[in-house]
Amino acid sequence: MDEYSIGVLTNIGLFSFLALSAYLLLMAGEMSFGQQAFFGIGAYAGGMLTAIFGLSLPVAALAAMLSGALAAFLVGLPTLRLRGLYFAMATLAAAEMTRILFELLHFQRTLNGDLVGPDGTQGFRGIRWVFENGVEPLEYLAMIYALLLVALVLFLLVERSRLGATLRSVGADPELAASLGVDVNRVKLGVAATAGALAALGGVLYAHHNTYIEPRNFDIMLGVHSLAYALIGGLGTAFGPLLGVVLDIGALEGSQVFGGARMIVFGGLVAVLLIVRPRGLLDEKTVHWIRTRWR
Amino acid sequence: MSKKLGYVGIFSLLAFSAHAQGIKANLDCRFTGTDFVYDCVVHLARGAAPVAGAEISIGADMPSMPMAHNLKPVKARPGKKPGDYEARLDLEMAGEWAVKLRLSGPVRDQLVLHYEFDDKGARPAVRRSGTPGRK
Repeated sequence: MDEYSIGVLTNIGLFSFLALSAYLLLMAGEMSFGQQAFFGIGAYAGGMLTAIFGLSLPVAALAAMLSGALAAFLVGLPTLRLRGLYFAMATLAAAEMTRILFELLHFQRTLNGDLVGPDGTQGFRGIRWVFENGVEPLEYLAMIYALLLVALVLFLLVERSRLGATLRSVGADPELAASLGVDVNRVKLGVAATAGALAALGGVLYAHHNTYIEPRNFDIMLGVHSLAYALIGGLGTAFGPLLGVVLDIGALEGSQVFGGARMIVFGGLVAVLLIVRPRGLLDEKTVHWIRTRWR
Repeated sequence: MSKKLGYVGIFSLLAFSAHAQGIKANLDCRFTGTDFVYDCVVHLARGAAPVAGAEISIGADMPSMPMAHNLKPVKARPGKKPGDYEARLDLEMAGEWAVKLRLSGPVRDQLVLHYEFDDKGARPAVRRSGTPGRK
């Protein structure tokens, strides 16, 4: 496989974590414009742990996921009291605050003559664990997809379980779910923390793939795309957001023939798709139809 | 035995990784006259010594849209001087690009350089500081 194909597939894998993170919140009825913040927290936390403190990537990834979960829980505490557009705006504000905090973060150490660590707007260079440990691009790609497969299997198990039904009921009608004895606030906080951990896992893998991160990598653009993945792919199953990532990145790469006008073409394609399929390609109706045919 | 293996496993998980190879790179790019096409020379050095014989693949993306503007990597060929490598970059637009140098062969690393591209060529990108009073 050539370097370009590996790069595109790696990007698809990495942004799939972010897409699943946004989808999990959508399942619980919340539209977050702020998942890129937890992606960034994972990237910074994981990058610092391997590059400055010399920990291995698996340990750094676990710690980054915990940081992402904790941050999402703390953001969720005040914001999950809000509903709909207000919640979306609050998550966007929290994400922008996080990005500005990354701009203010200076924590560099000299390691063998080189300054390593976050340097505000100058970014964070030298996240080289993958290169220093001889992990080939194809091996790293396999690692990303193995983790993604684990996440996807967990999603599919949850969707078919009582917990999945509870999540959907909270998403569809929180008042009705509460009247049936579901602790809606607790469920949503749990969902927010899990979604934060998932986004952070994507972030730590992204940082080690790229070797360099900076605050601008985690701006609103990434948040909009993470929501678009789920909305384009469909809200009926966890395969939906993954399909969304493939279509989004595939369309972006495929539209390179249009040169400078490709973002206009890409935007137009997304708009047409959302008009024709407002709940995405794999919406609940389509998933139900596929399941009944499958049986 | 299994306990010993466990310790080895834990140690390898926590082990400090080898330090970076200290390779530095900079870029000289000349605008070709065709929109967003640049002839670039990469200067690769470890300390003051040029690094020759490396295989370099050059990609690029835009920092604020890392997945949206992604340049297909091109292979650089050895330049006129040791440690120099030449490649033609065909970008999508002017502005700041994160140029990614993936090194293989005798050295294995990835370096990311930030350059501002326009019709005068390319120069290192200057960032505003997030911290008041800090350049």
